[in-house]
Amino acid sequence: MRPEPATPNRPLRMLKTALSRYWGVIAVLVIWQAWVSISGVNQIVLPQPVDVFRDLVAEPGIYLRNAGQTLLLAALGLILGMLLGTVIAVLAWSSTLLSGILTPLGLVFSSVPVVALIPVIARIMGYDLKTVLAIVVIISFFPAFVFTSAGLKTLPPGSSDLFRVLGASRWTRFTRLVLPSAVPSWMIAFRLAAPPAVLSAMLAEFLMGTSGLGYLFRSAASGFQTERALGTSVVATVISVLCFTFALWAERAVLRKWN
Amino acid sequence: MTDASSPVAHLSPVRPATETAIDLDHIGKSFRMENGRELVAIDEVSLKIGKGEFVALLGPSGCGKSTILRLVAALEAPSRGRVVVEGREPEDLSRAHRLGVAFQDHALLPWLTISANVALPFQLAGRSVDRKRVEELIRLVGLAGFEQARPRQLSGGMRQRASIARSLVLHPDVLLLDEPFGALDAVTRRQMNVELQRIWTDERITTLLVTHSVEEALFLADRVVVMSGRPGRVIKTIEVPFERPRQPAIMRSAEFHDLVDELTLALEPEEAA
Ligand SMILES: Nc1ncnc2c1ncn2[C@@H]1O[C@H](COP(=O)(O)OP(=O)(O)OP(=O)(O)O)[C@@H](O)[C@H]1O
Ligand SMILES: [Mg+2]
Repeated sequence: MRPEPATPNRPLRMLKTALSRYWGVIAVLVIWQAWVSISGVNQIVLPQPVDVFRDLVAEPGIYLRNAGQTLLLAALGLILGMLLGTVIAVLAWSSTLLSGILTPLGLVFSSVPVVALIPVIARIMGYDLKTVLAIVVIISFFPAFVFTSAGLKTLPPGSSDLFRVLGASRWTRFTRLVLPSAVPSWMIAFRLAAPPAVLSAMLAEFLMGTSGLGYLFRSAASGFQTERALGTSVVATVISVLCFTFALWAERAVLRKWN
Repeated sequence: MTDASSPVAHLSPVRPATETAIDLDHIGKSFRMENGRELVAIDEVSLKIGKGEFVALLGPSGCGKSTILRLVAALEAPSRGRVVVEGREPEDLSRAHRLGVAFQDHALLPWLTISANVALPFQLAGRSVDRKRVEELIRLVGLAGFEQARPRQLSGGMRQRASIARSLVLHPDVLLLDEPFGALDAVTRRQMNVELQRIWTDERITTLLVTHSVEEALFLADRVVVMSGRPGRVIKTIEVPFERPRQPAIMRSAEFHDLVDELTLALEPEEAA
């Protein structure tokens, strides 16, 4: 059997694209490894990439368990925060009175820096997972509120007249015109909110949690387990990149259908 | 064969001279501009459209044709005068889901397929979708095969045709069409005129059509109304003498050409005065 001409080329081509895209990362790793080997810096100050990799492979359970928890908290907080932002945006849309109260409140509430909020919330809610969740919810609330509010007002040209002429009820108008019109803006909010949700979950864990990636990093760093701390950074980076990629993909997939 | 001086004699025998469906009673419309001044879009227009009658509205751009349609559709309230549709407030008709419109912008929802867009009036009326009716109309406007396409995948003319199908889907009692074939090439336009006439002959919907094409107005309408430039007034009304169903061949007749000339002349701005 003659092999297809394209088949042997494919892994090679994939390797090529990987190299051309990620050569920067690879170069950093190579230089780092070379520098640690040649100069002989103390392991605690800077471990070799190989050691970090070894720790990742040797103890995958620790990384997976903590990463899983962080991801779960981030996802749950993201969903709750976006839900809350959407509901409040809809309430503000539905009545000018509510809009007058909710819009400034939402803006003030969401422009407070989160780092400043963490100790306050921790004191109110206790130093545990609830607080981490609350912080992610607050972080995710803002884009959902702002973008959904805008999206509810950008209706396709002529559609508002059309719904009136066709005798649509207020409720049908809301479900079949206003809400669907907000979907593209909502997806932008999702794309913008997803990476910070992960980041703020880790930050909150770092500052006061008792588990999760943020805490793993903190305990490893203070225990001079530098390769574990760096391993945690690698896992966190991978998760952030994956979240961003997923959110971008989801936004594109929805927009393709919507516009 | 007919007496041109008494337009009533031309009324097609199928249509009985019946009650008034749309009554524009000395209406006027002014808009307040940003700078506080008033813009008189419609000066004074009186027009009665009989039940089952097809009236075409001609006039220069900006003379208030779309505004008249919006008044009938209750999207705008008249500044002066009164609009009565089927003996009631114009809102009543749209609330009863008995009004069909295709306005200048097609207003298709971008997230729905063509088929779902055409079926939308059923859902807004809280009725179950009549799939056969939707399919039939999509076929009639020449969009068969595009049922699952999205509006953005269609050309401007195709979108207009989809919005015409949507306007007809509920068997409305009153149909308002605002330059529905404006984006079509001459051949497709002719085809659509023939299809629209066929549907209209079957259903006898009271129709008000705004168009810039004199030929289209004469081919489709029972009566053609010409408006002056802004502020809009009715300056000429012609009863169209051709029997229905009309074949495209009538457009080559001498009588047709005479009427085209007459209307074209009326549309030209008064130079002498
Ligand atoms: N909402 C509005 N606010 C202010 N002015 C308006 C508004 N709607 C229409 N007008 C004005 O009223 C006049 C008539 O407009 P209309 O859209 O009815 O014209 P038209 O006869 O349909 O023109 P065309 O053939 O170009 O579609 C125009 O001068 C327009 O500027
Ligand atoms: Mg117009």
